[in-house]
Amino acid sequence: MVTALVRRWATLAESIQGTGKRQNQDWYAFSGTGSAADPLVLAVADGHGSAAHARSALGARFAVDRFVALATEFGRAADTCHEPGGLARLMNHARNDMPRALVKSWREAALGHWSRHRPVADLGLPEPGPDEKLTLYGTTLIGAVVTPWLLTAWQIGDGDLAVVGHDGTVRRPLAPAEDDLGDETESLCGPQAWRAVRTHWAPVFEEARVPRLLVLSTDGLSKSFASGDGFTEFVGDMDERLATEGFEGVRDALPDWLRHASRYSGDDTTLAAALLHSYAARPRPTAHTEPDPEPGPEARTESEPKRET
Amino acid sequence: MANRPVHFIWLLDCSYSMQGEKIARLNYAIREAIPEMRSVAHDNPAAQLLLRTVTFSTTAKWHHQTPVPVDDFTWQDVEVDGMTNLGEALSLVSRELQSPPMPQRALKPVLALVSDGVPTDDWKAGLKAVDATPWGRKAVRVAIAIGHDADRSVLQEFLANPELQPLDANSPKQLAAAIRWASTAAVKAASQPVAGSGDPLAKQPFAPPVLDDDDDDDVW
Repeated sequence: MVTALVRRWATLAESIQGTGKRQNQDWYAFSGTGSAADPLVLAVADGHGSAAHARSALGARFAVDRFVALATEFGRAADTCHEPGGLARLMNHARNDMPRALVKSWREAALGHWSRHRPVADLGLPEPGPDEKLTLYGTTLIGAVVTPWLLTAWQIGDGDLAVVGHDGTVRRPLAPAEDDLGDETESLCGPQAWRAVRTHWAPVFEEARVPRLLVLSTDGLSKSFASGDGFTEFVGDMDERLATEGFEGVRDALPDWLRHASRYSGDDTTLAAALLHSYAARPRPTAHTEPDPEPGPEARTESEPKRET
Repeated sequence: MANRPVHFIWLLDCSYSMQGEKIARLNYAIREAIPEMRSVAHDNPAAQLLLRTVTFSTTAKWHHQTPVPVDDFTWQDVEVDGMTNLGEALSLVSRELQSPPMPQRALKPVLALVSDGVPTDDWKAGLKAVDATPWGRKAVRVAIAIGHDADRSVLQEFLANPELQPLDANSPKQLAAAIRWASTAAVKAASQPVAGSGDPLAKQPFAPPVLDDDDDDDVW
């Protein structure tokens, strides 16, 4: 039996341009409160950035924008599927229809942009094929939608989604069984990209088991760690810092953490997170922690003015 | 936190046919290329360039076995020995292209093969061993053919990409240019992200230079 309680989430996000990069090719967005009528949606995307993907910053933006629209619609539909068989149909939609709809919508956005901005027309060059056009906009995407009784997330390509459970357990439900080697990754611009979309489907059957923290990040963060466990430990530390320093403290420190990570990965680094409001608002212990020499979730530092989220 | 390593491995032919000016020029060219490698590495501080060298002659052996950060790398001249056991060298390298010992969170390694002759052992078995490793398949590969006697077909097969060609070094000047290119362009290519497995450019991340044939140096 599912519960249908209204919940609200606190959100934070930051994006840091990679060292030596001419442009930040990441994009992120979130919307909604997490109620049945207004699902919480979070998304981050990482445009590939190399010369072959010259318009990937736009591709990342298209991916996030189109995902937010589709996921909001999906989340609202979740509120009306309590009739027999409704849950199974919604799950099928999440796993099969949503990836196709997302890829279709992103391709329309990218090809539409191309048709409005066609350098070949000015240069007298032959018109490239659709695949060549789409390659220009190549991007990864991670997105999640949260309603009072459902968490669903999708991912294509690298980056990370971490879910911190009610008991503090950190899981990466969309992580591949084995990390890709090097920098190659799946992409929304790939052929039959919907086949490469991974889906996490997690109905919440008990109020007490609602995850307390969701963290989405582009690979600029995870690739700054020496091992694959680094990101999981980062999120665990972030969860602890939320408990000791509070939401505001973490939000203020986040830009420095990401800037520090970006210096190691060399990549644009973006993080978007949602914290269960009741968890964020709980009384904080008065413990005092000494700052560590290096910024990171385990060491709060004073930050520059934060980006408005 | 840690920078991601780029493992660069020279595979150098030290057979008797390299005796004399060829090996002297090779040593000189690599020594001269080191500062340029440092410069490329400094331009990309998120990558940590680590160098190693394998020589192959009658046997294959590590000339620099432990990966050395480019800032600490000093070149010790290699010397000629006997046969051209390329297969043994490739097998030796293949053991390093597993994960572990190579970390999963590395950038693509670079394999730079330099030879002037024809392999005298089962080089196909060695190449198969490299191709069977996860990092070997992803490696940026560079091949330099010294002189007209080099077996270009072997080097072409090593490159594993019909769109790439071995670089011909038919004179000392060309060898220096080829070594310089292999030392820098390949590192740049390995340090840059290549996203999308269906990307046709992923197989040709860099273009070999056009080397000037018209010089006053002796021709090999």
